Amino acid sequence: MSAAQHDSSADEPVDVTDGKLSRFEIVKEGLRRDGIEILHYEPAFPVPGTKVEKRIERFIAFCFVVAGLGALGFVAVYAFWPWEYEYAEFGGAGSMSKWYTPMLGLTLGLGLAGLGIGILTWAKKLLPVEELVQERHDGGSKEEDRVITGAVVGNMVDETGIKRRPMLKRALLFGAAPLGLAAIAPLGALIVPPGDDLFTTGFNPSNNDGKPVGLMLKDGTLVRPDMISVGGQITAYPAIPDGSTNRHADSPVLLIHLRDGDAKKARENAYEMYEGAQWNNYIAYSKICTHVGCPASLYEQQTNRLLCPCHQSQFLITDNAKPVFGPATRHLPQLPIDVDEDGFFYAVSDFLVPIGPAFWERG
Amino acid sequence: MAAPTRRRSGWRRRLGAFARFVGALALVGGVYTGFAPGIYADEADESFQALVAQGEELYNNSCISCHGVNAAGVDGRGPSLIGVGSASVEFQVNSGRMPMAMQETQAERKPPVFTPEEATALAAYIQTLGGGPEALPTEVVEAMVADVMTDPYSVAEGGDLFRVNCSSCHGYATGGGALSSGAYAPSLAGVPADQIYEAMLTGPQNMPVFADNQLEPEEKAQIIAYVEYLNTDQNPGGWGLGRFGPSTEGLAIFLVGISTLAIATLWIAGKS
Repeated sequence: MSAAQHDSSADEPVDVTDGKLSRFEIVKEGLRRDGIEILHYEPAFPVPGTKVEKRIERFIAFCFVVAGLGALGFVAVYAFWPWEYEYAEFGGAGSMSKWYTPMLGLTLGLGLAGLGIGILTWAKKLLPVEELVQERHDGGSKEEDRVITGAVVGNMVDETGIKRRPMLKRALLFGAAPLGLAAIAPLGALIVPPGDDLFTTGFNPSNNDGKPVGLMLKDGTLVRPDMISVGGQITAYPAIPDGSTNRHADSPVLLIHLRDGDAKKARENAYEMYEGAQWNNYIAYSKICTHVGCPASLYEQQTNRLLCPCHQSQFLITDNAKPVFGPATRHLPQLPIDVDEDGFFYAVSDFLVPIGPAFWERG
Repeated sequence: MAAPTRRRSGWRRRLGAFARFVGALALVGGVYTGFAPGIYADEADESFQALVAQGEELYNNSCISCHGVNAAGVDGRGPSLIGVGSASVEFQVNSGRMPMAMQETQAERKPPVFTPEEATALAAYIQTLGGGPEALPTEVVEAMVADVMTDPYSVAEGGDLFRVNCSSCHGYATGGGALSSGAYAPSLAGVPADQIYEAMLTGPQNMPVFADNQLEPEEKAQIIAYVEYLNTDQNPGGWGLGRFGPSTEGLAIFLVGISTLAIATLWIAGKS
């Protein structure tokens, strides 16, 4: 009795419980039953204990030791390396902490790389060299198999008897349908009609008992014209409670003091709805880019352009802040401003068009 | 008795009036001498005139070709400098931006051509032409900044101001950033305190003006302190990549990290 004998009787299953079979013969039989054929099989080192084999073993061992040391190093760095940010001028210890993350990465990387290279080398250099082939059938399943599968499924339905037990059928429907609703309902709650939130900002007089809203700095100081020099700009918020917080994140404007000539140009170019929106040489534009809503606040005082740092949209201040470069397609909304009798800026009305990126209802 | 007394009292009255007149004159003269601007005092006058004369000479040798006679400007070459003030001159000259080597998109920082003393002379000359924002002496700005540096909370307030007013162009970590048509906001690393101060005061090139009624001198000092704090601070990981922010860091991770992984994958696949 030999392996060759079994091979010759290809379709005859071999009795694997036969105690006389070697372990490798059982493996081979398993492969054969799965339709896998061994083309070529030989140990990596037919003669054990050669110099080359020893060298490879040492290399693999070295990799594993490196992996262990790396992992230990990771634990040590994690536990003992100074990680807390400290600024030396203010009594901090200095700059060891800046290496904390790189050291974590280095040690863990060393550990994982050591383990990986070790295992890879083991598999490639020490395991037997083998070539296996498995046949695959073409096309769909056999007609017989399809009939059997269909019968199994149909039989399962018959076994439940759902067709002749209408009460159970209805009860199941009643039990399962609300569960489906329970899964979908939370999604529905995510859909909140925005109302007119997208059309109003903090500068809407409704935030100030119907009175026009003033312009203030981040710290609440009301903005006066003399705060901004020619060629200067200031970020202003609606002077209402929480005006400079995220509650009114759609409201900030860039208030710019133009040169005489530029202010004249801006006034001449103004769209009809913006006539009179400027106050002398001062002009206020929404800070929210009309592309995707970044703060478009890079003010170039020589070229009179406003830039958005995110996607390089550029708006021409002297021409209604219309886009002249980049992906933005709408002008930055202008806030109509005036100065009250106490000498402070205020918004004559809310923005005349919705601020920020486009949305469905915005034509 | 009454008549001589009256006569005598009249004489005394006239004498008293004269004394009061002389006294008043002396007082007015003294006050005037005390309060009159120093440049009218002979010595200060002379040294200031010498400074202005030196500045004028430097101007006529090095700046006049673009900025014109009496700093009136030359069309298509250089703007008028009337009213730009000494702060502007000191910034442009001390940071090496002026004189420009050639007409280009942006005047870049380079080693200064003039010494600080010559820059002061030039600044004095331009200041006499049309006034404008005046430069503070370097020591004064440095002292203000050093004062802020003693108080971490004050520096933090500077950070707040920096993020509101400066970060959109100069970046969150002072690395600078791109502007339109090839221009850019420069990095603030290594810029001396007085130059940052003058830049805020005067708004050089495309930078907006942040005059003292918008950012008070103390607030300017806070911002400068914050900038210095950032620039002496460590870079987490040891390398700031120019401190441009997430774009460069993402690019570095993508190019270096992904290509390393790709090469490693190819290597593993090629070996098996």
